[in-house]
Amino acid sequence: MKTTDELIRTYLSDLKAALRGADKATVQDALADAEEHLRTALENELAENDEVTESEVLRSIIQDYGEPAEIAQAYRSWEAALPPALAETPAARRAATQGTGTTGRAGNAYPGFFGVYADPRAWGGLVYMLISIITGTLYFSWAVTGLATSLGVMILIIGIPVTIIFLLSFRGLAFLEGRLVEALLGERMPRRASFTDSSLSWRERLKILLTGKATWLSWIYLILMLPLGVIYFTLAVTLLAVSLALIVSPILSYGFNLPIGTVVNGDVIWQLPAYYTPLFSVLGVGLATVTMHLARWVGRIQGKFAKALLVSD
Amino acid sequence: MVDLQETHKKFQKELSSGTVSLALLSILVQSDEPLYGYQIGKLVGAGDEEGVMVKQGAIYPVLRSLEGQGLLASEREMSDSGPPRRYYHATDIGSEVLETWTATWQETKTFVDNVLGGKYQ
Repeated sequence: MKTTDELIRTYLSDLKAALRGADKATVQDALADAEEHLRTALENELAENDEVTESEVLRSIIQDYGEPAEIAQAYRSWEAALPPALAETPAARRAATQGTGTTGRAGNAYPGFFGVYADPRAWGGLVYMLISIITGTLYFSWAVTGLATSLGVMILIIGIPVTIIFLLSFRGLAFLEGRLVEALLGERMPRRASFTDSSLSWRERLKILLTGKATWLSWIYLILMLPLGVIYFTLAVTLLAVSLALIVSPILSYGFNLPIGTVVNGDVIWQLPAYYTPLFSVLGVGLATVTMHLARWVGRIQGKFAKALLVSD
Repeated sequence: MVDLQETHKKFQKELSSGTVSLALLSILVQSDEPLYGYQIGKLVGAGDEEGVMVKQGAIYPVLRSLEGQGLLASEREMSDSGPPRRYYHATDIGSEVLETWTATWQETKTFVDNVLGGKYQ
């Protein structure tokens, strides 16, 4: 006779198997939904009626919930109907209707060099690059402080609760970052925090928290966001500033008589004639557009990176 | 050879994809308080066995899809015992959308009833 815990675990692993090949984040959501439902239902039904055994009740609950294959099918079809924010690009829709590819690369959706300005993913990527210096700094400081404090107080009696709080906060921050990544970069990330099995004792839960891959991958991600944030922010700001300066150079040159295109080589000062400055404008527009392409590319890579580290298998 | 059960399943699946959204949205607009998945599942299945169009497990992706469209909103709350629960409630837009969906449903229903009743013969 299987215990209810075993039955639930079997159901979840069957559901996971039935969802093989689906998006990792979808699988995580589906498992969390199922576990919440089965445990809540079991608790409620047992309270109402105490004549039947736990496993009998659970079997009927599972029957009402649906076969793993059926439920997996429901998640797949609803997931296909609701892509993550920004993922609904013309190319994705075309790809979906023609049955080619899955999400359709945004690059095809906004063709041509200048099409990038119409692509929400490029703008999302740019915003992400600009704010990542703030989020990156916060994540890094919190991750380092948290771990250092936890290690420091470990020998004291308050060590365990402090460590638990910090480890949980790493998971929480990672979840929030996932929401940010989905909103700005269009990469499907978990929409629910991962499920903690409430039937486990606090010792077992602590063990999972301490030794779980998810905790430490989240921590590593938080740490890495500082250097990445600095690089992203610097790139975005520098490129935008240079582009803008180039674009407005005719105004500065003709309107304000500022020396544009001056090269100082020792005592020799070489001044480019002002009528060259419109060329600089063209160059500036080109550079700004390249920056947008870069932002879109960075967004795509960062999305993949976040998914690899923050979504557990 | 036509697999009757397979045909029936396929038809039911196609039919249910819109109606389940309508039913869930309607339940949440009518409800005075936020509900969590298990309660909604109970309500869906509460009529009688014949009325059940959807397995309880299949309502969760629909709820999430409705939330993604802004028709529902949800909060996660801890429960005294057992796992945390996600409580759903309808948004103002959700209530508005329900009115247009209800009108569409009434039209569809009248149309199908008429066809089935032989009105256009």
